[in-house]
Amino acid sequence: MNDLTENKMEIKNLSMFYGDFKAIEDISLDIPSQRITALIGPSGCGKSTLVRCLNRMNDLIQGCRVEGEVILDAENMYTPGYDVIGLRRRVGMVFQRPNPFPKSIYENVAYGPRLLGIKDKQRLDGIVEDSLKKAALWDEVKANLQESGQNLSGGQQQRLCIARVIAVEPEVILFDEPCSAIDPVATQLIEDLMADLKKNFTMVIVTHNMQQAARVSDFTAFLLVQVQGDPGRLVEYGDTNTIFTNPSDERTERYITGRFG
Amino acid sequence: MSAQARQAGIRLGALNARERNVKYLMFACASLSVLAIMLIFLFILRESLPAIRQLGVRNLFLSADWSPNVSNPEAGSYGMLAFINGTIMTTLSAMLIGAPLGIGAAVFIDQFAPPSIAQVVRRGIELLAGIPSVIIGWFGLTLLVPFIARLTGSSGYGMLAASLVLVVMALPTITTLSAETLRSLPPELQEASVAMGATRWQTVYRVLIPAAREGLLIAVILGMGRAIGETMAVQMVIGNARQLTFSPLQRTSTLTSRIITDMGEATGVFRSALFAQALVLLILAMVLIVSIRLISRERKH
Amino acid sequence: MSAGKDGRRSDRIAAGVFWVLGMATVALLLFIIVEILARGLLTALNPKFFLGKPEAMKAGGGILPMIVSTLYLVVLTIAISLPISIGAAIYMSEFARRGRVSGSIRFCLDSLSTLPSIVFGLFGMTLFVIYFRWGMCLLAGACTLAILNLPILLRGTEEAIRLVPNTYREASMSLGASKWTTIRKVVLPTAMPGIMTATILPIGRIMGESAAIIYTTGLFVRNIPLNPLDTAAPLAGYIWYAQSEALVNDYRRIVDGGAALLLIMVLAVYFLARYLGKRYQQK
Repeated sequence: MNDLTENKMEIKNLSMFYGDFKAIEDISLDIPSQRITALIGPSGCGKSTLVRCLNRMNDLIQGCRVEGEVILDAENMYTPGYDVIGLRRRVGMVFQRPNPFPKSIYENVAYGPRLLGIKDKQRLDGIVEDSLKKAALWDEVKANLQESGQNLSGGQQQRLCIARVIAVEPEVILFDEPCSAIDPVATQLIEDLMADLKKNFTMVIVTHNMQQAARVSDFTAFLLVQVQGDPGRLVEYGDTNTIFTNPSDERTERYITGRFG
Repeated sequence: MSAQARQAGIRLGALNARERNVKYLMFACASLSVLAIMLIFLFILRESLPAIRQLGVRNLFLSADWSPNVSNPEAGSYGMLAFINGTIMTTLSAMLIGAPLGIGAAVFIDQFAPPSIAQVVRRGIELLAGIPSVIIGWFGLTLLVPFIARLTGSSGYGMLAASLVLVVMALPTITTLSAETLRSLPPELQEASVAMGATRWQTVYRVLIPAAREGLLIAVILGMGRAIGETMAVQMVIGNARQLTFSPLQRTSTLTSRIITDMGEATGVFRSALFAQALVLLILAMVLIVSIRLISRERKH
Repeated sequence: MSAGKDGRRSDRIAAGVFWVLGMATVALLLFIIVEILARGLLTALNPKFFLGKPEAMKAGGGILPMIVSTLYLVVLTIAISLPISIGAAIYMSEFARRGRVSGSIRFCLDSLSTLPSIVFGLFGMTLFVIYFRWGMCLLAGACTLAILNLPILLRGTEEAIRLVPNTYREASMSLGASKWTTIRKVVLPTAMPGIMTATILPIGRIMGESAAIIYTTGLFVRNIPLNPLDTAAPLAGYIWYAQSEALVNDYRRIVDGGAALLLIMVLAVYFLARYLGKRYQQK
């Protein structure tokens, strides 16, 4: 891998259990700073589970347990007593289905900053405008910021969710299949947006769409469940170009050429 | 994976201190229901103990001689058997009419009515449930009682009038819950039966009603709960006599109607005997609740 | 199980019977409503009646303090039980795990909803009126009715909270909101219209309830109750009192008018609930 890039996160021997079921096993991989890392694999391979380990969203599910480490800026986020709330501000997330709150566009974006205690109207206005601009949504909504975020189209809603994440100024943004519920044109817009955001953010994207991974990402990890009932394991990780043109593992090649999954 | 290694994994989802306090506060709100039930039992039991102690179980629960003495309570007799009989008789006869009527109305809603009419009946039943019992009672007192009197030559007051009023009170409960049960049956059941050439009626009584048996039973039991507890409407039409009777046309009382008829002037052991009647009501209600639990557990298996 | 000639005929007969049963319930309801209104509407809409003071012994009394008592009781009961219900509903839907604790809470709620209201009345009388020495008053009645209505109010509130999509909770938590902040800022505001709709059904029940209040709130007053610790006489209880004691010789007029008035109030609440429920569903 490229030695010149610094690692923002390091996943070390990570396993994750839902009750007695082991969802992923012994995964180790590095997330380089200000790059886009894609997680691909057939459905059920644990890629969504893995990405949800990176901001501890899995805490919300009862009976979840984790072994191993996820290091963010030299600190293991699974140390007992770690500030999970602060973590989620640093590592934001965009979900599979656009999920704006049933509030106005403005209030959706201002939600995070308000949590941080920002009350000053002018400052909030600035953050909202800035975030919506970064999410390439400003021009479409600037005239009706008070309208409900749920009245936007699916693609606009997803960009609103991205703006909502940007507003808390995270260091990392996780995308959990962000385009699976929106049309191709809107998908294109979001991919362009991700390329733009690379300047400021480290990003991880889970996708079942291999072309998307090839188009947007710098690095790609391929996960697979070997036999049904087994946990998901990391098969191969590397430079996106290499993975897609010259994979070293035969299973990766078979998946990429569409022979299973 | 060994047990120790599992222990080593971090358990997720811990709350911080403030979150935990909030959780405790919410928990306190939720446990208020537990506290309320316990306090209700405690207070009703405490107030009825003097009567149980002074009169004994036999004179209190198994005697039909209720001759209270208002000025000197100790001198009266307080046997509530006539009222227990009244409660059970009126409830059972109300169910005899109310169960077929309510289940029939539910089958009508679920199977026979066109959607718009089903909706009208459903809304009507909802509204009927909301009509205050004093209004039903007043309706019974001014229309039903004279009607029965004219028809039979009796006073019109008694268990017949009370049972009919109770049918009105219990009908919404039975119908709503039965309709819910029927609606929750898997549609394949009905399809399978119809596909075999059964008519709607054959499907209803050979397939749907047997399949919904437990749910319908629960609906009727909850209807009984309404009937046992109904107070004002019954008190207005049953005649409020103290005699033990099995005749539907003679004046008598139920536990509930006797409590409100006498409570205003009762003191001492007289008052305590009225609380003992409430205790019987409480026990009857708990019997119903527990039997519902048993039936629904059966259904799950 | 094939439908022969007999089968088809019995099917037609059965259909006829079920039509009669179904329509009988509606007919019964209409009969009651029309009869009560026909008898009492004129009295009920007479300002001398609904704005007048009641008389204890002579004819011509009005009913204003009873209307005020009923409305006061509704407000007080909801003010006591709504916060508790919301808190309990949050616990049941957001915190509780399936297990012994939540199971026994549910059992107690089921039991509470099946107990006869007269039992609540006697309990309220011993605890609030006598043990706490409040005397018969609005507050004692409201506390009693708060317990009586807890199961139904809690069920509606909990349903409204459970209808809030999980994705909202996830989105909020992923932005670094704590669980409590998420509940306060996202879950409750989203559920609020549903909670309000769920509150209206119990209002109708509070208005119509009589057995639980006659020994906790009071049966007869001449003046409008102002203080929560004042004795009051809600309409439903007063209707019963007026007909059972029959102390005034125009008691029939009062009961007919009172019943019509109470019915109008209950119907108004019911249709308001339907209207709000429909609007809430459309959103």
